[in-house]
Amino acid sequence: MMTNPVLELRDITKSFGALTATNNLSLTVMPGEIHALIGPNGAGKTTLIQQIYGALKPDSGQVLLNGRDLTGLSVPARIRAGIGRSFQISNVLMDFTVLQNGIIAEHARLGQSFRFLQPAFSNPQLIDGAIAILDRVGLSSRADTMVSDLAHGERRMLELALAMAASPSLLLLDEPMAGAGPDDGQRMTEIIDGLRGDVAILLIEHDMDAVFRLADRLTVLVEGSVIAAGTVDEISTNQAVKTAYLGDED
Amino acid sequence: MTGLLKFFGLVHAGISDNKFLWLLIAGFAVFPIVTQLVDLPFWNDVAMRIMLLGMAAMGLNLVLGYGGMVSFGHAAFIGIGAYCVGIGQYYGLMNGWAHILLSVAVCASLGLVIGYLALRTTGIYFIMITLAFAQMLFFLFVSLEQFGGDDGMSIDRAEFLLIDLYEPLRLYFLIWVMLAIVALLLMFIVRSRFGVTLRAIKSNESRVEAMGLVPLHFKITGYVISAVICGLAGSLFASWQEYVSPDIMHWTRSGELMIIIILGGLGTLAGPLLGAIVFLLLEEFLPLMLGALVPAYAENWMVLFGPLLIMVVLFGRGGLVGLIDSKILPHLGLGKTAVK
Repeated sequence: MMTNPVLELRDITKSFGALTATNNLSLTVMPGEIHALIGPNGAGKTTLIQQIYGALKPDSGQVLLNGRDLTGLSVPARIRAGIGRSFQISNVLMDFTVLQNGIIAEHARLGQSFRFLQPAFSNPQLIDGAIAILDRVGLSSRADTMVSDLAHGERRMLELALAMAASPSLLLLDEPMAGAGPDDGQRMTEIIDGLRGDVAILLIEHDMDAVFRLADRLTVLVEGSVIAAGTVDEISTNQAVKTAYLGDED
Repeated sequence: MTGLLKFFGLVHAGISDNKFLWLLIAGFAVFPIVTQLVDLPFWNDVAMRIMLLGMAAMGLNLVLGYGGMVSFGHAAFIGIGAYCVGIGQYYGLMNGWAHILLSVAVCASLGLVIGYLALRTTGIYFIMITLAFAQMLFFLFVSLEQFGGDDGMSIDRAEFLLIDLYEPLRLYFLIWVMLAIVALLLMFIVRSRFGVTLRAIKSNESRVEAMGLVPLHFKITGYVISAVICGLAGSLFASWQEYVSPDIMHWTRSGELMIIIILGGLGTLAGPLLGAIVFLLLEEFLPLMLGALVPAYAENWMVLFGPLLIMVVLFGRGGLVGLIDSKILPHLGLGKTAVK
């Protein structure tokens, strides 16, 4: 294969005391693909995301983004290297309007956050940039709404927009449908589907319909180890997966 | 010219908080005329004290109100600013501008060091560590016998080029001009990209981090700016008091600043100044009122002061500025305007 992976994890291991949350795990995410990470609760999915994001440090192993070793870099440095993230619990700026969220993301993207004189929220360039960020998830019509007044699903969309603001090469989505109703889940699935090709996505999601619809490839995690990896068809017929994970649901 | 237009644009940008701030500052400009007319020059002194504490509270408000960092040690920077005048004069440095430069430089460096160390912690630990640093500095000055120790040292009013502070009202207007400059700077800062990032950090630090920014850098910068403003207030305080002792940086003053801010309105521009006006006027009048009613208890005016504070905090979320904004302005047909 000639294309290089966007994300490459090499032999990542992370233990908390006697519990091995990530066990000698290797994984690649290719450009433009949606790669779903599934597994039962406690399989170590979020712990793995945290290590890619930089909030947790692996005991051993390497995280490579576009061939660059991220090991040892802080969270903000990894964001600037090209990672975007949405969290399990909505993580947006609640005390601001939707547009203001976009504006702050926009000047952070431009590296202009250390400017002291011009008012930020009335700057036409920043407003244009923010609208572009919000347009991606169809939220620009809600620009002047306080985030605390948004519906849950809209907050999830806003978070996705903020994660995409800096045009990252890798997007980490930790249960983007969590807590969303069927309509919101449907919309979110469409929006994520629309991002396919623009950005490589590592997706954790419990909604299996969404996973099977979105994922180009799947990695199944059980107790910190990869038990299977492949396309949707390969995984859905994999006996080990059926017994270890999918079988549990029936 | 465009700068001036921008200034008025900001003041009139539909933000009552800004207008209110400049209304108060304009009030201080004409106040001496009033005291002249009614022949009560003593009140100029009270007004200067209000402006100085208000200025320091405005500085602290940048970290406390806008940045959400509960610093319980900002009196230290007032003290350092004041001692820069006292110690400067002790070594023959008489120029007032030099004192101001010195206190700005010292408070900026000290703010950087304390901020760098203290801002690694949050919540109760941050409160405790800022208090600890302030107490360290307090006891340092208590122990410095050379500079008066516990008793403090007297200070001559500094020499400001072309401004003789012994002329009546010169010090008043020097303080007023500095207050206006601080207000102007803060008005720009809190709405700037830096300012909104600081407010975003207060709202949700991890989202700001997820935007690729390092929250600590913004917090330290805000901390240094607020330390410098408190230092400036302190150096003017020294000239006003013509005396400096460790008392100026006693921990109760840090508490006083916090009360002033919360009373006036946390995270508003006008709040700290309004808070200082109300706080110090109550401090003047409550003993008089209580003395007139029950003379034996005049000293216990704090008994009334405490419940008053609690009422403002409980019923006026957003302090007095919030109260005016949500309860009083609508009745005047001026509509509710967002403080933020």
